[in-house]
Amino acid sequence: MKRNPIWMVVNGIGLVLLICIFALPFVWMISTSFKTLGETMTFPPKWIPNQLLWENFSKAWNSGPFLKYLMNSTIVSVGILILQFATIIPAAYAFARYRFKGSNFFFGVTMITLMIPTQLIFLPVYLQMSSWGLLDTLWALILPFASSAFGIFLLRQSFKQVPEELLEAARLDQASEWKIIMKIMVPMAKPVLITFGMFSFIAHWNDYFWPLVMTTTDASRTLPLGITKLREVDGGVAWNILMAGNLILVIPILFIFFFAQRQIIRAFIYTGVK
Amino acid sequence: MKNIGRFITLLVLVLVLSACGDNQEGTGSKDNKASADSGRTEITYWYAFGDKIGENNENLVKMFNDSQDKILVKAEFQGGYGDLHSKTQAAFAAKNAPEVTLNEIASMGVFARSGMTENLTPFIENDSDVNLEDFNPGLMGNSYVDGNIYGLPYLRSTPILYMNASMLKEAGLDPAGPKNWKEFEEYLRALTVDGQSVGMSMPVGIWYFEAFVGAGGEDMLASDDSEVTFNGTAGVEALEFWKRLAEEGILKIHAGDEAAAQATQDFANGRSAMMFTSTANLTQNLAIAEENGFELNTAFMPSNKTSGVPTGGANLVMTAGLSPEKQQAAWEFIKWMTAKEQTIYASKYTGYLPSRLSAIDSEEMQSLYEEIPQYKVAVDQLQYGKARPMAEAYPEISTILADEITRSLLEPDLSPKDALDKAAELANPLLQ
Repeated sequence: MKRNPIWMVVNGIGLVLLICIFALPFVWMISTSFKTLGETMTFPPKWIPNQLLWENFSKAWNSGPFLKYLMNSTIVSVGILILQFATIIPAAYAFARYRFKGSNFFFGVTMITLMIPTQLIFLPVYLQMSSWGLLDTLWALILPFASSAFGIFLLRQSFKQVPEELLEAARLDQASEWKIIMKIMVPMAKPVLITFGMFSFIAHWNDYFWPLVMTTTDASRTLPLGITKLREVDGGVAWNILMAGNLILVIPILFIFFFAQRQIIRAFIYTGVK
Repeated sequence: MKNIGRFITLLVLVLVLSACGDNQEGTGSKDNKASADSGRTEITYWYAFGDKIGENNENLVKMFNDSQDKILVKAEFQGGYGDLHSKTQAAFAAKNAPEVTLNEIASMGVFARSGMTENLTPFIENDSDVNLEDFNPGLMGNSYVDGNIYGLPYLRSTPILYMNASMLKEAGLDPAGPKNWKEFEEYLRALTVDGQSVGMSMPVGIWYFEAFVGAGGEDMLASDDSEVTFNGTAGVEALEFWKRLAEEGILKIHAGDEAAAQATQDFANGRSAMMFTSTANLTQNLAIAEENGFELNTAFMPSNKTSGVPTGGANLVMTAGLSPEKQQAAWEFIKWMTAKEQTIYASKYTGYLPSRLSAIDSEEMQSLYEEIPQYKVAVDQLQYGKARPMAEAYPEISTILADEITRSLLEPDLSPKDALDKAAELANPLLQ
């Protein structure tokens, strides 16, 4: 069936269509980011600008302290990721492997936090951060996300699939619980950890709402907020500069995908044990 | 073990890095204390909008800080008006609000009546430097809340008619533009070429609707904000006019979130010959017109029985509950920002209206108006300027009204009178 040439052509066309659907907005963004303002408004729309206007990028970059934004975004996203790994790995291990009094209850409570939207709790958190004097610092962007119910749930499921015999063998060899986690559990759950890491990193890299609420000065702002400065004008938006700013925002993520792609695929292939 | 080691190193690195970030902020963070070494009173000023408007704010604040050594102002961008307002409210609740901020003029009432902004009347009365008469009366309507002044006009705008003068000339029309509704209709008809261009492309903007109701000599709300009056004769006539033009196909109505952007785009590429928009967009549209090779002209919002145009933009306000020292500093800053020289600077930099009569008469502005006469139209139109409604529920009422207007324009059977009555029925309980 698969060798059938007609099938292969249909398959190919389908894939090309799919790529178009996903890639078109990106191509449009890149194209717009090189245009003059007048060109962004022409009809019918132009795909290729008359000349590449590189100065759009310097205009976007110079519209605020973008280096500072970039650093803040990196510190916040990486910081959250590290704290999350530090909390969800032991928590998931405990929920997956230990039976203790109230373990189901506590797991239930953890799951409930998954169902509460951020917008519902931001005010109490805001006031809490305010009373700790952490408003408008990077801590206010990192600490509320130091753990993740979603991550605990995901990791617990994958820890549960590790055969009990493996752990018993390790315990017979006098391995500490910590060593079991780091040498057996974590390597086995590598694809899940990488997937979760990507989700978390991208979510916080792109997060607009939380930094908007918690920060008031450029010193603690992240990239998405820097870019809204380009969008928030009274009336006409300079789409070309805005798209140049967006491109600056997504390039680091594209790089991560580019380099992590092999890692992710390899991680998935290596999970032979079930 | 190697993994753990690496993990801990990273963790420490991140903590140290973010601690560094904190320290840098420490020097700039608002502790609400006068900085000890310089002896200057520090105040914070929050503003809305980036780009030219943001640069204008940053530049003026720097100029103010350089002009004296008693007060040090820190300017901070907070997003659009919506974000700025909600952040100010949240910061007020957390007791770290800025000393000076902006109120979009329709929000003046909400902030003043809930006790978040300070009554400026005593400051004005005790300060011989301020001549209230010099502020353009067309811009002062929203400064007064319940008889007291709560803000002074800063970056202010008004909607005007933008026209593609090249298309007007081609159609044999006077490029000066239509004066009243009758001429406006004739212009629309003459400028509509089937399948090519339409007379005007317009979002369902309540701001513009206010100008049409004002042209009928009526208001959107009763003077005591007790009920809506947009379903009176003037409102119904205005919507009947819109509906007739839309059904004839000479006025193209856009609905939805991107409506305003679509109208701008239609105008920019010559698919519509006219549009309504804020004076604040003039600079950008002049640039687009030049690049796309057409001549841009501006005119008053068309009048009917009379003229009555809304204004827009923001007033400078002081937050309530400051120490006398901070109050004085905030007042000095507000006074400086709204003075003649600064309103000239801001108007030239952003395209907003100069707020003082002496500024309009100044040589600098007059020579600008000679050079770019399109700017002058908005200033002249201010003689018909009126206050926007300031009822707390007005933003919500605007949304309801826009929905009903859109429905009436899209559904042939829904008469304008019924649509406006329906909107009034939904809106009136919000005013109780």
